[in-house]
Amino acid sequence: MSTVKATRPLGPPSRLHRRIKPVKIASFTALLLTTFLMLLPLFFMVSTSLKSKREMLRFPPTFLPESWAWSNYTDIFDTLQFGTLYKNSLIIAGFSVFGTLLSSALVAYGFARYRGRGNSFWFILLLSTMMLPYPAIMIPQFVLFSQMQWIDTFLPLIVPAFFGSAYNIFLLRQFFSTLPEELFDAGRIDGCGELRMWRTIALPLSAPALATVAIFAFIYSWNDLLTPVLYLSSSDKFTLPVGMASLTSSRFRIPPWHLLMVASVLAMVPIVTLFAIAQKQFVEGIVLTGIK
Amino acid sequence: MNNITKSKRYALLLATALTVTTILAGCGGGKSAGNVADGDSGAGNTGDPGKQVTISHYTIDSEDRTFIEKLIPDFEKAHPNIKVKVEKAPYEQFDSKLQTLIAGGNSPDVTSHYGYGGFAEYYNKGMLLDLTDLIKEDGFKAEDYSIPENLMKIYTVNGHTYGIPVNMYVTLMLYNKDMFDAAGVSYPPSDYEDKSWTFDRMVEDARKMTLVSDDIAKTQYGVDFTWAERDMRPLYFGAEPYSEDTWTNGGVPSETHFDSPEVIAAYQKLFDLVFKEKVSPTSEWSKSVAGQNGDPFVAGKIGMSIGGSWNLAGANDFPFKIGVAAVPWGGNDKVRSTLFVDPLLILKDSKHPKEAFEWIKYLMTTEVQEKSIELSGGNPPVNTEAAEVYYKHFDGIDPEDVKKVYEGAAKYGYESYNHLITNYSQINDMFINELQPVETGHKTLEEVMPVIQKKVTEIIKR
Repeated sequence: MSTVKATRPLGPPSRLHRRIKPVKIASFTALLLTTFLMLLPLFFMVSTSLKSKREMLRFPPTFLPESWAWSNYTDIFDTLQFGTLYKNSLIIAGFSVFGTLLSSALVAYGFARYRGRGNSFWFILLLSTMMLPYPAIMIPQFVLFSQMQWIDTFLPLIVPAFFGSAYNIFLLRQFFSTLPEELFDAGRIDGCGELRMWRTIALPLSAPALATVAIFAFIYSWNDLLTPVLYLSSSDKFTLPVGMASLTSSRFRIPPWHLLMVASVLAMVPIVTLFAIAQKQFVEGIVLTGIK
Repeated sequence: MNNITKSKRYALLLATALTVTTILAGCGGGKSAGNVADGDSGAGNTGDPGKQVTISHYTIDSEDRTFIEKLIPDFEKAHPNIKVKVEKAPYEQFDSKLQTLIAGGNSPDVTSHYGYGGFAEYYNKGMLLDLTDLIKEDGFKAEDYSIPENLMKIYTVNGHTYGIPVNMYVTLMLYNKDMFDAAGVSYPPSDYEDKSWTFDRMVEDARKMTLVSDDIAKTQYGVDFTWAERDMRPLYFGAEPYSEDTWTNGGVPSETHFDSPEVIAAYQKLFDLVFKEKVSPTSEWSKSVAGQNGDPFVAGKIGMSIGGSWNLAGANDFPFKIGVAAVPWGGNDKVRSTLFVDPLLILKDSKHPKEAFEWIKYLMTTEVQEKSIELSGGNPPVNTEAAEVYYKHFDGIDPEDVKKVYEGAAKYGYESYNHLITNYSQINDMFINELQPVETGHKTLEEVMPVIQKKVTEIIKR
């Protein structure tokens, strides 16, 4: 890193800049255009969410709403019990993230730092669970949870997260393996137990990996439709995706797309927020540890 | 010291995990824990003298189905020993959730074929309870609930009744009055006995309203003829693709005739509307224009649209004036409308069939049926007395027209194949896929129909 810094002042910066400029402009224009294209569906989502039902039905569609129907954003709370659904989704996603981080990090630490007989056998067995599609275990799992009388509670949606998931364990194991053994030796000399080393050495150094796992777990839980549909039956326990699927559920009437767009806009907020927070964590993780 | 901290930490971790689980159990379980339990064990209700039972009604999670929740309080007041719980799922997941519920030993008591699968599929999978004895024991008579006798027959197989009809949707024609006025064409009749209203006259009228332009926004078509499910359409012209015995033995036809000249000719007549007469839109055009809402008629681009009467439910939102008319005569003297009669069914695994039947009877009473029309936003009742209220439900449409169209449809109606033929969701998917190249003009019917004939035979044998 220091060598790079040393060489930089040697070159003629002004001429270099001048030569780069047209290229820069071109690439920025290209980037802007792509960004615009990428944002177009998003724009239409927001725009439709502000149209009246009548305007939504028109063809050709209007680009910007003619009469801005801000009331859609309050209507959604009446049509869908939106607040309850949102709260339920947040509770379930929150516990799922916590559970996934806790269990996956613990198991991954074990796989990364211990060598024992059959080590790779168990790891391969764990990874092979990734090949099982959900529908294959759907019914047995449902029977199990139904015998535990967990139907129509949040438990079947949260508890499995506390038992780890192969993909996240694999991801964290790879990260934990890159941590230098010397750090742990130092910990041992200072009298640390394994769990303490896990908590005070491994976890803080793995912030970027943990942030990634947290985002994965959150998005998975936040978007999941099939499991909540199976396990939840009363509307005050439904999650956001179930409620949103219900909006277009009727075969017998025109779906309120404008309200669905309102719901989509609002459903995006936690993911964007989480991503912003986790991204900062991600960068900080690199800066603080100084380890790639 | 090291050991102590270690074990302390383990204990702490374990405690946290346990606390989390208990908290979750508490907040998640709450109200429903009792409901789930009392179905079989009666844990919370052993003290009650009348032996209270909970029955569940499984339905689609949309306003036009979940309105029954509002009918429960009155029912429970009249039947203090019965509690009703509504379970629901979005349309797309309706069938898979039902299968899982049954497989998991949590079968609902009452439901209907609201998903992709129809009555025959449920019947052939042995999911349904034979209601014959319950009906006899109870002294239930269809006429007491103003249910027409011919509708009761739809869900009766070999003299055994498996379902009580509750809603009846028909096939009708919706037309755009503004477009008729602009083209100076007189409105089509709502009277099924008006013999001048034929398929050919419909094509003529459609021609006057069709305007094909390079500008997609200006283009409009006279008619969109999507009569019932794809395999049912030949029936409209008098060609029968499934053998007679289909309707007597629980939806398993011994023969099908999709490659017969009559059936092919019938399909040809419908595709001619698009490719020869050019009065109907191609499927690509419909898709591009339908855009945000899925139906070009709603966007005001189609003069006449044949479709299910559920299209009426959105009528108050349409940005133009609409009317209802009879489906024109196409060559079949008996059948001119498809009926979509939804029954209430009791599932075989129901633990409380008697109480479930009480609930069904309550939903069938004239008073509740009348209330349901308003609560559901316009579900058409089977109950002929309550139907009078239904006819008046739509703003801007003459109740007299709605009534005529419904009565004509009941007279010239035929129950939709999708309820009456086994493995129907697979048949339907196959039809959509195989007919696709014909709809886009890449293949001819003569090429496609023998393939369809072969595949239908295979699916039915499954």
